[in-house]
Amino acid sequence: MLKSINVPRHDRVPSPIPDTQASMTRQEITNNNWEEALTFVALQRDRSAYAELFNYFAPRLKAFGMKMFGNEQQALEMVQDTMLNVWKKAALFDASRGCASTWIFTIARNVRFDMLRKKQSRKDDVSADDLWLNGEYPEQEADNDASQWDTQLLMDKLAPHFTSLPPAQREVMEKVYLQEKSHQEVSDELAIPLGTVKSRIRLALDRLREALDGARN
Amino acid sequence: MAHAIKFHPGMSLLEQHAEGTLSADVALAVAAHIDLCPHCQQLSRDITADLACQLAQQPVKTNSTDWQQMLNDIMAQPQLSKQAAAGQSQLSAQHAEPIIVNQREFVLPRALQRLAANHGKWLHLGGIATAKLPAGNDYHVSLLYISKDTEVPQHTHLGLEMTLVLAGKIVDENGEYKAGDLLINSPDDTHTPRTMADEDCLCLSVLSAPLKFKKGLTRLLNPLQQFFY
Repeated sequence: MLKSINVPRHDRVPSPIPDTQASMTRQEITNNNWEEALTFVALQRDRSAYAELFNYFAPRLKAFGMKMFGNEQQALEMVQDTMLNVWKKAALFDASRGCASTWIFTIARNVRFDMLRKKQSRKDDVSADDLWLNGEYPEQEADNDASQWDTQLLMDKLAPHFTSLPPAQREVMEKVYLQEKSHQEVSDELAIPLGTVKSRIRLALDRLREALDGARN
Repeated sequence: MAHAIKFHPGMSLLEQHAEGTLSADVALAVAAHIDLCPHCQQLSRDITADLACQLAQQPVKTNSTDWQQMLNDIMAQPQLSKQAAAGQSQLSAQHAEPIIVNQREFVLPRALQRLAANHGKWLHLGGIATAKLPAGNDYHVSLLYISKDTEVPQHTHLGLEMTLVLAGKIVDENGEYKAGDLLINSPDDTHTPRTMADEDCLCLSVLSAPLKFKKGLTRLLNPLQQFFY
């Protein structure tokens, strides 16, 4: 891990954009409202809504687990533990705080982290609960950073850094700033949640700011 | 926070933290920084949403896993009420006990509270005191208290040093650091941190290897380097 800390900041090999061309995937996401499904699971113990969620997320969590653990047994253990938590703790999901996929991802990440620690039999040690707040930080005053940057962005000196953005962020930025599409249009076009469009813009702006300022640390 | 935090973890550290791939001890310092820093809270939320979206959007092949069995096993279990589920999920961080050193009380960021409740004995040397936290084996994680007007002898790092200022102020050759600021020193960086006459300082220190003292007589401290480690 030590090595990764000392590496320059913009050298990450961009991960390939998930194949958004796969029409099946697009169709499914557009047609499925996972937030609603999860709410049904919480309120009505809706088994068919849960089964739909499970059928969609379990194989994707498995792929994530395979990438992280490198073996099927642990990957499946992570899927089972994650999806069990989704079932048992559905009542904790709050659609106003974010997407269903974000909630499920954070559960999987925490399950995975605690699996690794347990394997090393260190109980009196850092746990996922220490590292990630379960819930929201208190609301902060909105900063104007992003809007200030909107206008400055047009300046020529940013252009060369555009290409070094991760592909998923670049795609969103190009649609918003070069093709002047609204956030909602981009959300519809890419079949990603509106919140994710906004997130990617903020992340890209921060990267561009870093590229101009030099590293923050 | 009355002042702006100036020293943040870089984007790739935040990304690895959100992904859960940092070593636990480094992650602890990053998590405590995030607790103190609204800017990085927002970035972390955004990164997490982005990673989650990538996970949800990835195309997957149909495979041979027997999902039906797993699905049935899960739905055979009872669901929890909201209260029961909440009770299970996070320790009550609300009533945090302050830690006490040099007759001063400090309330720590949420990420450190559980571990700090079991900190080791305070060891004092000059105006400096350290107490170990029960964290991992890869790094040494400790609280470091520096009294007013005290200099930590110039040292170099045999490994990585992360210092998160939790309270007060510390200065070195490169700048001035206040609560929330995260300093990362790589192997071979040399510095002489010190406190000013009017303010003491409490830090979280994460070290991957002992410090090595550089100058004149302070080299005599090298046998004591375990103290800082």
